[in-house]
Order: sequence, then structure tokens, then C-alpha cells
Amino acid sequence: MDKMITRPVNWNKIEDPIDLEVWNRLTSNFWLPEKIPLSNDIQSWATLHPDEQQLTMRVFTGLTMLDTIQGTVGSMSIIGDSRTQHEEAVITNIAFMESVHAKSYSSVFSTLCSTAEIEEAFRWSEDNPYLQKKAEIVLKNYHGEDPEKKKIASTLLESFLFYSGFYLPMYWSSRAKLTNTADLIRLIIRDEAVHGYYIGYKFQQAYQEADEARKEELHDYAYSLLMELYDNEIRYTADLYDGIGLTSDVKKFLHYNANKALMNLGFDALFPKDVCDVNPSILSSLSPNADENHDFFSGSGSSYVIGKHEATEDEDWDF
Amino acid sequence: MLNLYGPDGKIQFGKDKEAAKAYFLDHVNQNTVFFHTLDEKLDYLVENEYYDKTILDQYDFPFIKQKFQQAYNVKFRFEAFLGAYKFYTGYALKTFDGSRYLERFEDRVVMNALMLARGDKKLATYLVDEIISGRFQPATPTFLNAGKAQRGEFVSCFLLRIEDNMESIARAINSSLQLSKRGGGVALNLTNLREAGAPIKKIENQSSGVLPVMKLLEDSFSYANQLGARQGAGAVYLNVHHPDVMSFLDTKRENADEKIRIKTLSIGLVIPNITLELAKENADMYMFSPYDVERVYGKPMADISITEMYQELVDNPEIRKTKMKARVLFERIAELQFESGYPYIVYEDTVNDANPIEGRINMSNLCSEILQVSSASEYNADLSYKTIGKDISCNLGSLNIAKVMESPDFGKTVEVAVRALTAVADMSYIDSVLSIAEGNKKSRAIGLGQMNLHGYLGKSEIHYGSEEGIDFTNIYFYSILFHAIKASATMAKETGETFDNFEKSKYATGEFFDKYINQAWKPATSKVAKLFKDAAIEIPTQADWEHLAKFVKKHGLYNQNLQAVPPTGSISYINNSTSSIHPIASQIEIRKEGKLGRVYYPAPYLTNDNLEYFKDAYEIGPEAIIDTYAAATQHVDQGLSLTLFFKDTATTRDVNRAQIYAWRKGIKTIYYIRIRQMALDGTEVDGCVSCML
Repeated sequence: MDKMITRPVNWNKIEDPIDLEVWNRLTSNFWLPEKIPLSNDIQSWATLHPDEQQLTMRVFTGLTMLDTIQGTVGSMSIIGDSRTQHEEAVITNIAFMESVHAKSYSSVFSTLCSTAEIEEAFRWSEDNPYLQKKAEIVLKNYHGEDPEKKKIASTLLESFLFYSGFYLPMYWSSRAKLTNTADLIRLIIRDEAVHGYYIGYKFQQAYQEADEARKEELHDYAYSLLMELYDNEIRYTADLYDGIGLTSDVKKFLHYNANKALMNLGFDALFPKDVCDVNPSILSSLSPNADENHDFFSGSGSSYVIGKHEATEDEDWDF
Repeated sequence: MLNLYGPDGKIQFGKDKEAAKAYFLDHVNQNTVFFHTLDEKLDYLVENEYYDKTILDQYDFPFIKQKFQQAYNVKFRFEAFLGAYKFYTGYALKTFDGSRYLERFEDRVVMNALMLARGDKKLATYLVDEIISGRFQPATPTFLNAGKAQRGEFVSCFLLRIEDNMESIARAINSSLQLSKRGGGVALNLTNLREAGAPIKKIENQSSGVLPVMKLLEDSFSYANQLGARQGAGAVYLNVHHPDVMSFLDTKRENADEKIRIKTLSIGLVIPNITLELAKENADMYMFSPYDVERVYGKPMADISITEMYQELVDNPEIRKTKMKARVLFERIAELQFESGYPYIVYEDTVNDANPIEGRINMSNLCSEILQVSSASEYNADLSYKTIGKDISCNLGSLNIAKVMESPDFGKTVEVAVRALTAVADMSYIDSVLSIAEGNKKSRAIGLGQMNLHGYLGKSEIHYGSEEGIDFTNIYFYSILFHAIKASATMAKETGETFDNFEKSKYATGEFFDKYINQAWKPATSKVAKLFKDAAIEIPTQADWEHLAKFVKKHGLYNQNLQAVPPTGSISYINNSTSSIHPIASQIEIRKEGKLGRVYYPAPYLTNDNLEYFKDAYEIGPEAIIDTYAAATQHVDQGLSLTLFFKDTATTRDVNRAQIYAWRKGIKTIYYIRIRQMALDGTEVDGCVSCML
């Protein structure tokens, strides 16, 4: 009988350099919602129509739901399938940050809304059939046995499902509304982009090693799961955005991100370019590069990171 | 749109022009109130209390009409969408309900000229010419408010001392509220406040240090920001030898506790030479109790030179002190700059060695370019003044280097700008904060700035930070200084007045002029010599300086301070300039504006053909920026907002090295540190110009 050996994780022996690169990226991107002066959005919030306010809250409740799933179930369910110990460590970081994200939405709520409104939005999330369906589909996969399928579900969640929600704060920010909230969302997007990329990358590794039959199975599975989610997502989107007439624009955004999710999995894009022509003002407000310029009049920005510490040597002080 | 490559792989500059045009056709023109004649317009604006009647009453109507014609004849057009957008959203006069525009750019220019000329027709004519041509651009508070009946102050920046007593702290909070409400940025010096654990009324361990004062200030600024047209903003400075320095820095940490976290208040450190020397030795540095320093030496801590007094303070058993490794401080500073961009840095001894005015400089302002002497106020228990000290204010305006190099008369351009800025100083008396009002009255300090250096260099096919780039910067600032001093001395002659305490300045003793009289300043490269020659700009000679020194000795100077180079945000977009004398942050800049969200701005003069001369700041790297600033710094009496740019591969050590290098090169202050983190491969947005390296 094999004896179980527990090995300590050794970061000086890296099996996959991507693990280290992503770890470094995620840790240097660490942030907490308290850094964003959300209260500067209070005035801007008051300029939104009550319907727009309600929509925004619902969208954020939907996002909270996804982050809750991903933080407490999703990441946990794929951690056991890790190929390296370092991957396990990275995934614990992902799980933690998902919980930070889930909590961030609460910071937005508590800053901008009354308790009654918050409770209404959470009740809505429990009653909305499409949101519940979305959760059900993803959870079904996370509770399954197939490690690669779990990764597919996870990547689709990180790279596709979030974006029907992310659209709205980016839309507001392109109209100079809720710009501090948009900063916070951009930090979340910055994280999710890396998460989706990393889990997709780990999927691809397993996929490369699989035999042809298995490959076909996974390929078909990915597209059919995407379509299942897409059908539901379209209804969810219409339910949310019909009221302010943005549904068709959001759909393009969904196509664009569905393609991104497939690319993260190493598969071909599904939607042709002409249904992915996202409004450029949205696209450019979501660039994950941290290169925007800002100053003390404009809030905190999303461009600072935790620095790498390196002590100075005597030669540096040679003057 | 602009930020994404076109199908041919080139940057779509046309998109920006299209956007600007569409903005006018679809938005501006349709939302502008129409008047048949200028009379009708001015009557309406005065009667309905949009325009300040007293400004117009200084002139006869035909003259006013002629000024508007002069401005409109130039056929001004905004070069970039962002310039137009910023002007109409932020500056143009609107109806009181905010729905329609009452002004075009030309109108704003004329109202500025009429106000700043104070009835002097010749100056008004010159000013219209300088501003509409884009050579001179008043800073936001002036440009925005001039001529309006409902308005804030014209002054950009305020600096306040705080002394170690409750009256002074309370006054500082009141002053911060008053000044924020009027739209200025406020910086405060906390160095004199007793440290955490210091005694109060001789009872030990009573004081809670500088942190609670920071919290009070932060809340004050965010309250005032809800009322004003522009968000309130504040900064606090602390000497690194204050015992609270580490907790001061920790307020900006990513994982700081909510109770001590400072979100919107900017922070800055004052670093004397001795601290760097101690770090060099890898020795301990001592922090001294400001309470004891004031008690023992009878002077507030900000008014003594820590470098000179260091050994004395260390040896004096009456001074309570704590210690840490000096290098630990510098490493902590760099860590924090990665996380937050803060703190700003003032190299205290460099600043004071270069200061021609009697007195001590112990802080800077929100943009780290204002460097002036101050003195303490004393208060009665009811907060009224026992003695009015001298606090600092500065009104700013910037020259567009590329346009100034095309000026028909370089010297006159500088003189008109100096006169315009002086007009603001003369007209301002902020009676809600008497120490500011009196300080301004005595000093009439102005800050003539510069912008569009990189735009000009790129246009002239010179690389930023190259030998020619630095040579140009040196000679340009050298020439500006000459004409600025000349203008101020001319005003002293005309009015028979000098700034308070001129006689004790290095201008009066002549010491200031030594380096210009005893040494020739000439272009070192043929390219730069040619640029000045082609522009028909005469570079002042040693004989010119000798002459000027005598003129100044005889008549004095009207202004205590003349130059300060601000970071220029909004006004450089309106003016189609690159900001300040920085390199561009990106060929297509993404800028986050509190009220606007994300906006895009192509670098001025950038075309698809000269891309190589428009490398961005991250590529150019800190040393070239420091070298360029060092060349300018030697000719600027106040400071220059210097931002350093790093790629995210940099470590805290790289940041520390840059700080040491800057100090060695004679840089006075460091403003933000910016870090650019690129997207991981595979996570970027497709075809985005800003992602290009």
C-alpha cells in the first residue's frame, strides 16, 4: 500500500514558471476595497434615475453571487486537481481574492444605498430565474467529478459570465458617472482577467496530454456548456437591460468575451467579428493595463501595485 | 476609437479630429445661446449677473469690441477632442441651470485679458494676443473665473503652517475649509506638532500625534469638496526626523486599518541632507521630539535646520529621541510609492541652499512646485490673531514652449505673462485667512510655469533626455529667467515698490547673479544654437546679466518669487501641450478625470511619421527625466513638479537609486512615482495602442 507523503511546497523548485509568474502578478495586484474613496460617488449616484439605480444594484448583486460561487465553491473544487503544489497556492490566492470581490460589492452598496434597497436587491437575486439558473449550471459542474470540465466551467465563469455585469459600471464610467465605483470594478476585472487566463492555461495543459477521443469530448463539452450558458445569459441580459435599451450593446460585449473565454481555453472563437464590435468607449475603459494617468483630483486609479522589496547596497549610496 | 489601431495598423489620429468636429456640430453649437450683436450679449451677461460689470467698466465699449474682434479674427480651433471637451465642460460660462453655453473659447480669452490688464489697454491687447495664440495659458483658477460675477478665487495653491497648539490646529482646519471652498489646493506642514506620547501640560503620554490631525483634515477636505466647483484637495508634509514618521507613512498602506487609513489626503516628506548621509553610512537616524525641540531651543522644529543641528540634538539629553536604520526609512518610502504613488519628497537643504530669499523653506504644496519662506502666526484663545504670520499662496500660469519658440518677441511674451500673474497677486486678498492675505501682500509671489517641452522636442526631432534635449532645456530656462527678472524689476521701477524684505535677499546683495556674470551660458550643441538662431531669440550674455544685476540692485524686484513649474493637467489639454516638462506618459494618453471618467489624448505634434521621438516616460526612464529637470532646476527659484516613471519590473531599490540620483543632481522635489504594469500576455484588449511597447 502506498504511503501518503506530505511534501512542503518549495518555491525554490519551480516546475512550471507560469505558476510563479501568476503568483507574483496576483500578489502584487493585492488590494482591498477600502482603498477606493467610494463615497465620492454619492453625488453621482443621486443623479441616476431610480430605475437606473435599481438596475445597478441588481447587476452588482448578480456579480456578488458569481464571486461567492467562485470564491467558496469554484476555486475550492479545482484545487484538488492541481498539477503542481504551486498551482494549489495560486488557487488559494484566487479564492481569497474572489471573496474580496464579493465583499467589495457590499462596500458599494453600503456606501450608496439604504438597507431596504440592499435587501430588495438580494431578494431579487434569490427570485430571479435566470440568475438562479446560471448558478445552478455552474454549480452542477463544480460538483461533478471531471477535473477538466470543472476548469472549463471555471474559465467560462471568469472570462464570460462576469461581463454582462461588468458592462454596466464601464458604461456609467464612460459617461462620467460612478467613476470611483468603476475604479473598483476595474481592479476586479484586472484580477478576473488573470484568473481566467490561468485556469484556462491549466486546462490547456491537460488537454494537450489527452487522447483524441477525450479531446473531442472536452471540445464539444466546452462549446455546448458555453451555448447553454449563453442562452441563459441572453435572457438574463434582456431581463436586466431592456429597460434602458442597452441589450443589443451588451450582447456584443458578451460575444466578445465569449470569444476571449474560448481563446483562454485554447479553442477557436465562436462569434464572428461583426457581432463583437463592442462600443469602443466600453472596450477602452476596461483595458487591464495599469497605465492610466490620474492625480489627486481624480480618485485612486487602478495603477498601483505592491512593490518588490530589494534593500539598497552600499554602492547605491556612493556619493 | 482613437486608442485602437485602424485596419491599416496605424494610429487613427483622424478619429480625434472627427470627434472634435462632431462635438462642435452635434453638441456645442446646438447648445450655445445665440446673440445678434456683442452689445446685446454683454448687456445680457452683465444684467443677469454672469459677467462682472466692474471689469468691463474699466474700458470704453469700442475698445472692448475691438478686443473681441481681435480674438475672433485668429480663427481659433481646438486641436484635440479632449481640449474642446474640457473647455466646454469645465471652463466655459454656462446658464445658471447649467443647460446651455454662453461663451466660446475666444470670449473666455478676452475676459481674462480684460481682467488681468486692469484697464491698461496696451497690456489687454498684448494679453489677448498671448493667450489666443496659445503662448501663455493662465492656470485653471484664473482662466476659469476671470470676469465672472459668480466665481471662486484666482489663486491656485495655498500652504499653511501649523504650530504646536490647539488654536493653531483649529485655525488650520478652518483655513482649509475656507480655502477649499474657494477652489484652491491646500498643503499643511505637520512637522511642528508634538509626537504621539509626548506630554501635554507636562503630563506624560498624552498626545496622540499627527495622525488624528490628518484625519480631521481629510474629512475637512472631503466636506468642502461637496460644495465647490472643483474637488477639494489637500496635502500634509512632515519632516522625516519627526518621531511619527513611520505611522505617517503607514496611513497609505494597502492593508492599513480603516481607523488610520488616509485615502484622499496627499502626503509628503521633508528630507534634509543629513538623512541621506546617515543612510550612506548605513547608520541609525534619530527622530527628535518637536515638543522638546521647541521647549529647549525656543524655535519650532520646522524653523531649524536638522542637518546643522543634528549632532547637537543627538547629544542633548533634554531632547527625547527614537531611532531606526536610515535605510529602512528609504526602503519604506519606496515600498509605499509602489503601492500608492506617495509620499512626495522635498530635499530640504537643496531647496534652502538655492533660496535667494531670507528665511526658511520647510514644506511644499499639493503639486510640490511651490517653495517659499513662511513665518508663524500666534493666536488668542478665541482663535483671533495675536500676530499675523506669513503663509504662502501662489498663482500660476504656464508658457507653451513650442509656441513661445515661435513668438515674434520672446522677451515680451515673458513680460506679459509675468504682468498677468502679478495682476492676480495684486488683486487677491483672501480675508478669510489673514495669514495668506498678508503673506501675499508682502511677497506678491507668482509661479510662471512651462509646458509642452516634449511636444516641442519631438516636433524638432530631438529625443527627450538626449544631450540636445538637455541642452535646449538649459538654455531655454536660462533665457526665461533673465526676462522674468527683468519684467519684475521693471514693475518695481514703475511702481516704486519691492517685495517685503527685498534688501535682505540675494538679489539685492547681487550674490544671486554671480553664476550668470562669472560664467558664460551658451548652447553646447549646434542643433540647439540653430533652434534659437532660427527663432531669432537672443540668448542673454554675461554683459546683459551684469546690466540686469545693477538694474535690480537699483529698483528691486516686485515679486518675491517668479517661477514654479506645475504639472499642468487640464490646461495643457486645452492648450494642446504635453504636460509640464515631463515626457509623455503614453502616445495616446488615457486620463482619468474625476468628473469626466476616462478620456483619450494623443500627444501634441505626434504623427505616424515621428513616433520615434515620442517615446513614453516609462521607456525613457528616470535618469533622463532627472537630467532634464536638473538642467531646468538651476534656473528656477521655486520648484518643479517632477514625476518619476517605472515599469513594474522595478524594485524598491530602483526607486531608491533614482531618489539618490535626483538628490545628487540638485533636484528640489519629487512629486508622484508612477508604476506601469502591463497586462499579462493573453489578457490584453485586442489592438490597443496603449498596450504597445
